[in-house]
Amino acid sequence: MVAKENEDHAFPSSGLLLIGMGMGSIEGMTRAAIEAAKGADHRRYEAYTALWPEEELKRLEAEVGPIERVMRPEVEHPEALFSLAQESVVALLVVGDPLQATTHVDLQLRAEKAGIECQVYHGISITTVATSAVGLSNYRFGRQVTLTYPYGDWIATSPLELIAVNWSRNLHTLVLLDLDPTGQGTGEQRPMKPSDAVHSMRLMWEKVDLRKDEPLSEEFLLLAQEQAIVNGYMTQAFEGLPVVLCSDMGTVDQRIVTTTLGALADESGGRLNCLIFPAGTSEVEEKALLRWKQGEE
Amino acid sequence: MGRKEENIKKATEVMHVLPQIRNLCIAAHIDHGKTTLSDNLIAGAGMMSNELAGSARVLDFDEQESARGITINAASASMVHGVGGTDYLINLIDTPGHVDFGGDVTRAMRAVDGCFILACAVEGPMPQTETVVRQALKEKVKPVLFINKVDRLINELQVTPDDMMARFTETIKKVNKLIREFAPEEFKKAWQVSVNDGTVAFGSAYHNWGITVPYMAKSKISFKEIFEYCNNEDQKTLASKAPVHEVLLDMAVTKLPGPVEAQPYRIPNIWTGDLESEIGQAMVSCDPDSELAMMITKIWMDPHAGEVAVGRIYSGSINQGESVYAIGGAKPERVQQVSMMVGGDRIPVPKVVAGNIAAVTGIRSAAAGVTLSRNKDFTPFEAIRHYSDPVVTVAVEPKSMKDLPKFIDALRSLAKADASLQVTTNQETGEALLAGMGELHLEITVYRIEEEQNIKVKVSPPIVVYREGIEGSNRGNSFEGKSPNRHNRFMFEIEALPEEVVAALRSGDLGDGPVRSNDAKEVGNKFGELGMDRDTMRKIYAIKGSNVLVNDTKGIQNLHETRELIIEAFNEVCVKGPIADEPVQGMYVRLVDAKLHEDAIHRGPAQTIPAVRNGIKGAMMRARTVLLEPMQKAFISVPNDWLGQVTREVTTRRGIIEDMPSEGNVTTVVGVIPIAETFGFSNDIRAASQGRAVWNTENLGFEILPPQLFNKVVGEIRQRKGLKPEPNPESYYSD
Repeated sequence: MVAKENEDHAFPSSGLLLIGMGMGSIEGMTRAAIEAAKGADHRRYEAYTALWPEEELKRLEAEVGPIERVMRPEVEHPEALFSLAQESVVALLVVGDPLQATTHVDLQLRAEKAGIECQVYHGISITTVATSAVGLSNYRFGRQVTLTYPYGDWIATSPLELIAVNWSRNLHTLVLLDLDPTGQGTGEQRPMKPSDAVHSMRLMWEKVDLRKDEPLSEEFLLLAQEQAIVNGYMTQAFEGLPVVLCSDMGTVDQRIVTTTLGALADESGGRLNCLIFPAGTSEVEEKALLRWKQGEE
Repeated sequence: MGRKEENIKKATEVMHVLPQIRNLCIAAHIDHGKTTLSDNLIAGAGMMSNELAGSARVLDFDEQESARGITINAASASMVHGVGGTDYLINLIDTPGHVDFGGDVTRAMRAVDGCFILACAVEGPMPQTETVVRQALKEKVKPVLFINKVDRLINELQVTPDDMMARFTETIKKVNKLIREFAPEEFKKAWQVSVNDGTVAFGSAYHNWGITVPYMAKSKISFKEIFEYCNNEDQKTLASKAPVHEVLLDMAVTKLPGPVEAQPYRIPNIWTGDLESEIGQAMVSCDPDSELAMMITKIWMDPHAGEVAVGRIYSGSINQGESVYAIGGAKPERVQQVSMMVGGDRIPVPKVVAGNIAAVTGIRSAAAGVTLSRNKDFTPFEAIRHYSDPVVTVAVEPKSMKDLPKFIDALRSLAKADASLQVTTNQETGEALLAGMGELHLEITVYRIEEEQNIKVKVSPPIVVYREGIEGSNRGNSFEGKSPNRHNRFMFEIEALPEEVVAALRSGDLGDGPVRSNDAKEVGNKFGELGMDRDTMRKIYAIKGSNVLVNDTKGIQNLHETRELIIEAFNEVCVKGPIADEPVQGMYVRLVDAKLHEDAIHRGPAQTIPAVRNGIKGAMMRARTVLLEPMQKAFISVPNDWLGQVTREVTTRRGIIEDMPSEGNVTTVVGVIPIAETFGFSNDIRAASQGRAVWNTENLGFEILPPQLFNKVVGEIRQRKGLKPEPNPESYYSD
């Protein structure tokens, strides 16, 4: 049975609804999404990939009924969720669009395998809001990536490498920010502040810098090419790299700042932040970005 | 007293004349008379009274040692000996003969340039002697041979002079074979010992006499006369004509190299820094006026002065009151006192120079194997390698909680003083786990805590440390470990490493820990030389103990980002295997494929580490993992009347008797016994032979636990660790 993504389909008597909550207010949700949440027997809010403001959540509860929060283990091991969905309608509320930044395809497929009807209600995703609000051409974005917290002495270096690879193709990069310092997806969430992001970037920079003397892969051309690109990117000064800070996008507190990595740490940011690393910009893009430069508004 | 003081004065003077220094040790089997010989040399050189020698045992300054009659510590003693009107300073490092203290032997070898191999005339060189000699040769320490207890041959076994010569020849042959096998290439020939050139002596340390062919010529004593003196029970006269200290110290001075001669070939063997640098050249030439380079070989606890660090100075000098770095330590530390050692006495001196052995107090962060220098960035001497892994554990805790701080301090000192001891503390219970080479080793450690530190402790019964090993292979049938989010997958294939490779890993020749990408080729080549596929091994990720992890995947993007996480999970499994959470050994892990999530956030530690851990454990189950138990070889010499009782003690302990050579009325039972069955062996064997058996042991490595015991032993270990009784099946790791 194929998962339904069509709102015209009849509301099921039992099953799993993946509901996109959009960016942070009831007003930003689709009518179909609100109706579906209201119609469900149980509502679960996935609280480990992105967050809504608490007061907005309360408003939503008042509108659609009580909502229980779930963390990573319940979603990655969805047995309990599924057995509930065998007999009733369960709504899994996800910030943004459930099939965008956080992919729930695996959950969809597993539900299907378990014979559970699964419907999707899309929401507005940070992926579209941030890229268009800033004013950079949507056609000139490369792959997006999430910047992570360090774990002990370890830090993922691929975000920096990906920014470099996009840059080498003259593509901008949308960088989402981690909100889970433990990496477990269980405890209290702490969305990254701009200063946290700079700290992670700096650790990545230092770690990649240590590797720059390593010989290029002889066996695999693609890997060697990537190594060379990253080495090239790193000849720039860290402090001077241009970056756009996007805070609380899609909410009333939305704020955009064009700055450099060196100055980014001084920005306080909002509840939820993300970054854009622009590559070479066209004239129109250049002007668009200038709008967000401090002191030049 | 007068002579002793005069000698001390001489010693402090001769110390500065480098060609007149010898640093040596005695390599021997337990009960072959090493301590008796050391004391004779010290007494002969005027450092204690003649009558005491042979009974007082100056080097055994631990009460514990005297009580047990075995030498526990490698203490050192300096003495002065004149040859041809010139005074020589001889620094003697005592080495333990008991297998439980093998770590100290290796360390002592680092400090000396020459060694006496002590072999009993009756028993010949024993396996333990071989082990010690092997260690000496590996460290480029030149040997000479002393055949001891010759009087027993004549008086007890009543051999003829011809028989005696034949026995000597046999012993010399055995020793030369060892030298041929284990000496560095350039010395295999040059270091062969022979009666004629005076590198072999024989005698009786207990009766204070010894002789070499050159000394026979000098003193005009014939072989026949020696035989007669012994036969007529007049070894006293013999001792006055050929005193053992005279003969052996002559041999040391004329046949063993001094530091100036030895350091040019020894420094490259023990130091990895730049030999062409100023300090490199200073060490090679043993320059006392250059920068300080000293290696600590032993720490012992002095009840008054606290920790005393003993070591060899390779260049420069160490001075009272100066500040030096213990390499690895953050701050320079002040040298409170510098001394020379005479058995239990430390004689304070203002400084000790290159080529000598010094005792130093005040350096809190010194430990066995640590380098002292005035330069913070000095390349330290190679880490000292140990040949055996700990096989027995006990849990220890202070009886009174008020002793806890003192107890923690004591453990810290013990761990520093004895590198073959592993100390881990359980954070939750405050209980400490001591892991060591055998029951006796741990008994002595506990004794030290109680008697020397005066802390009463509770001790658990000893527990065997088992190992998990790979019996089969899942090559071509890889096992996939999934991350909790199922977006990351790691495929592993596992098999056992070849024995030569495991041996090389044990010796430390291949290093330990993660392998840097820049070094992977070089390390891979070394594995190639040992017969493994060179190209695969050049993709090595990490070594953990005797286990190896290789990234055998092809061009997977972003895999390098998870490298450290993969290694971390591999290390976890190496420490706690799937069968019973016991350490794993001899395992060859290949990561053959991986699928990673596109975004770093979904392949972080919380995803990658469990995926790899499950992947490796599942592959281990698929490849077939077995439990290995540590084995011990026991040599029990017993008069024939008690032979039956002794063999029964061995066979009832799942022991296998390998050999039973007999010598007159005495038979030596050579048996192999699982360590698990050896607890209390010492008392039982004493009872069974009414105290007549003399025995010792050496650790033999690990063997597969018999299948009929598998469930019982695994169940017991798992229960003790609070795990469910049965190990998880392969399927457990695939979800």
